[in-house]
Amino acid sequence: MSILEIKDFSVSYLGDDYVVRAVDQVNLHIEEGVSLGIVGESGSGKSTLMLGVLRLLNERTSKTEGEAFFAGNDLIAMTRKELSKVRWAEISVVFQKAMNVFSPVHTIGTFLTDIYRVHRPAAKAKEIRKEQEELLALVNLPKQVLKMYPHELSGGMLQRTSIAMSLMLRPKILVMDEATTALDVITQNQILTEILEIEDKLQLTRILITHDMSVVANFCKKIAVFYAGRLMEVGFTEDVLINPKHPYTRDLIKSYPTFAEDGTGTVVRIPGTMIDLKKPYEGCPYAERCSQATDRCRKERPLESFVNNSWSYYCHNPLEGGRADE
Amino acid sequence: MAKYLSKRVMTGLLCVIVALCLNFALIHLAPGDPIRILVGNKEPNPELVQVLTEKYGLDQPPLVQFEKYIGNLLHGDLGDSYYTGEPVQDIIKQKLPLTLFLAGTMVFIAVILGGLLGVFCAKRAGGKLDTFLGSFTYLFDSIPGYWLGLMLILLFASKLKLLPTTGLISIRESYTGFAHVLDVAKHLILPIATGVIGIVPYYFRITRASVIQQLGEDFIVTLRAAGMSEHKIFYKYVFRNAIIPTVTAVGIHLAYMIAGSTIIEIVFGLPGLGSYLMTSISRRDYPLLMGFYLILSVSVAVMMIVVDFLYTLLDPRVRHVSD
Amino acid sequence: MNKMKHYLHRHQRLVFGCCMALVLVVIAVLAPVISPFDPYDLSDEMMAGPGSMHPFGTDNLGRDILSMILYGSRTSLIIGISSALIAAVIGTVIGAIAGYFGGKVDMILGEIINIFMMIPSFFLILIIVALFGSGLFKVMIVIGLTSWTGNAKIMRAQALSLRSRTFVKASEAVGEHRMKILIKHIIPNGIFPIVSNTTMGIASAILMESSLAFLGLGDPNTISWGQLIANGKAYLTSGWWISFFGGLAIIYTVVAFFFIGDGLNVILNPKIRNVTNV
Repeated sequence: MSILEIKDFSVSYLGDDYVVRAVDQVNLHIEEGVSLGIVGESGSGKSTLMLGVLRLLNERTSKTEGEAFFAGNDLIAMTRKELSKVRWAEISVVFQKAMNVFSPVHTIGTFLTDIYRVHRPAAKAKEIRKEQEELLALVNLPKQVLKMYPHELSGGMLQRTSIAMSLMLRPKILVMDEATTALDVITQNQILTEILEIEDKLQLTRILITHDMSVVANFCKKIAVFYAGRLMEVGFTEDVLINPKHPYTRDLIKSYPTFAEDGTGTVVRIPGTMIDLKKPYEGCPYAERCSQATDRCRKERPLESFVNNSWSYYCHNPLEGGRADE
Repeated sequence: MAKYLSKRVMTGLLCVIVALCLNFALIHLAPGDPIRILVGNKEPNPELVQVLTEKYGLDQPPLVQFEKYIGNLLHGDLGDSYYTGEPVQDIIKQKLPLTLFLAGTMVFIAVILGGLLGVFCAKRAGGKLDTFLGSFTYLFDSIPGYWLGLMLILLFASKLKLLPTTGLISIRESYTGFAHVLDVAKHLILPIATGVIGIVPYYFRITRASVIQQLGEDFIVTLRAAGMSEHKIFYKYVFRNAIIPTVTAVGIHLAYMIAGSTIIEIVFGLPGLGSYLMTSISRRDYPLLMGFYLILSVSVAVMMIVVDFLYTLLDPRVRHVSD
Repeated sequence: MNKMKHYLHRHQRLVFGCCMALVLVVIAVLAPVISPFDPYDLSDEMMAGPGSMHPFGTDNLGRDILSMILYGSRTSLIIGISSALIAAVIGTVIGAIAGYFGGKVDMILGEIINIFMMIPSFFLILIIVALFGSGLFKVMIVIGLTSWTGNAKIMRAQALSLRSRTFVKASEAVGEHRMKILIKHIIPNGIFPIVSNTTMGIASAILMESSLAFLGLGDPNTISWGQLIANGKAYLTSGWWISFFGGLAIIYTVVAFFFIGDGLNVILNPKIRNVTNV
């Protein structure tokens, strides 16, 4: 069952004299209990997509089109009040820069309590405290953290606190926006492994936004590959990674050392740079860099093609069978 | 934290000492003999000059004079005025309250006005109204205070006859009790308005900038993502964080305004410390100038330390860094 | 063409300020040519109100106010620009040395900057000018010597960040003399904020000079706007125009330089313009 259904979703950033189409007509179904990893280079629109769905973008400098249904209700069409009820209680976010996620002049406890009270105004201080301590224990932090200020915690601790905060109201969806990118690999793996356990316990659906393929490979059931604001390919992780249909997916896999090592042992760099999204274009955005590209790719926008009902791609010349490193 | 504050106290002390030395040196390097001005005549009586010079110790070398001055200072003695012979501390005690009252009231009103305006504009940053008001504050900043004072006198006192022109009280009447207070208040409206217009842009800009900065912080996005209303985000978080630079500014400004109200006192003929200072300059009344400057730099230094202390209370990060 | 229009729109204040300042400079240079009267000339028409003969009226000695204002622009500009430049040079040198050399040098210079920042400068200027005399040159120097701390702070911060940049490190590795690096790399690369701050400094210096002149501490031998306003103080009710137009001239000039400074700031730091969502 779809828990979040994103339909024809586009986001444009409005500059003084230009428009950047950061997310371009994306369709994406997120099923309950099936963790999804959204990957792409920086500027691929992967973060913008989720920020747009949650309406956290600056309304004066960006424009959002399309629909995003959560439990049958369109988040985009909702009033601010209705949206406030969904935020955090149903969908919560773990942001990238944990250092700046908390108010620098309030203690962690105060900050967490304030957020809790937004949704449960009648909650008693004692209950909230107990709840917070339990959550911190869940992410392996001592309860003393509540009395501390953000600057007194390390990056890893802050990120753990941030995760605890996002779980506070038992949301159905947890969006992790490059949440572990800034951490060292060991801490990152530790935290993500913990998350996997918590996920089962709390019946969470996780959406993990990252530029790191290996994280998705290890921690997500499904993968969605983004490029230049468009969805390129989406499917179960093992399907897509072993047998990518979109040439971009293949090239992205090849450009990761962890994957290349057990194959040919070389890292293949993708030639060229991403197209300028300020300029309108026709066809596939990857056409200029793609080894499979034909004239059709430059002129005609590829539509969604299905391998099966959970695996689809947007390409005129998909790759036939075979492994990524062939 | 104690280490941080004690370092600031040292800086403050150093500042007062440097200010005193500078002032003493300047006064003694300056051309013009205070005794000559004191005695007044073109050809003064040499004996009188002799007596006065000895009385004030002006025949001794500057370093000895400075040593003596500092010594007396430590006993709370700022010396006697050359002109009136009164102890300097008494004169200051008598003139300071009005100046302090003026400075305090001006800063108080300006913080509130400028703060409100700053918040108002920060919420509309980049909009037409914001740009317009922004340009307007530059206009306010560009108006010389003394000129503004004169124009206000011209308009409200001379033409419209709504308020008194100058002075602190109506000389022709002899009000008592509440009528007296009302009379003084009426006399102070224009001077305070002049001062407030001069410093409002300062508070406007500080508040606007810090509110805009706070609104751009990542934790504001967290609170939005958590469903908190914009209203609550603003009053509990943005405001709480944005107030820090304003508090700092108020403290320092309060001290500087003691000197800053000089021109206003002169324009409006108010008997405060500032206007007395101008008279003392022309009289070459050195002990008084030294005393005034001492008060000024001590109050700046003290406010600086008070502000630092407040800062550590308001911003836990400072506490941490300094530990 | 469109781009030009866009640029003009984006930097409205800067363009506006530059135009205003240009007019001022032209006036100052051409003062003797465009003034209807000799500003020092005492005529029989005393306290004449604004009219066709004297657009801004005359003062108590029969001098033409308009001509005095046109000539007064020279005093304001000379003092404003030179003292701001003095402050810029002192501030840049001290700040750059403190920031680039760091360590003990920075500690001492930093403390000196702090102390001078705390010393109430208005009163200091007042005392100096009152005791040492109030020639144009002296006023200029005194204002310059007491207003350099802002520049020093800015330049120090610039130098601190520049010194860890690769091109500076590279020059050091090559063995270039540190003084040479300071002059060749640190100062030129960090100077831009000083430029905008100095423009603001011109405005403040002009205000300061006019205040001194108003208090009777200006150069008595040159015409200045502050002096003109002080002159009119005694005749406020009978001849409002004496003080009035001088004030307008000061406001115009100060606004011009504030606009330029603000405009330069916007170019330097485009973030200022960034709009936040509420």
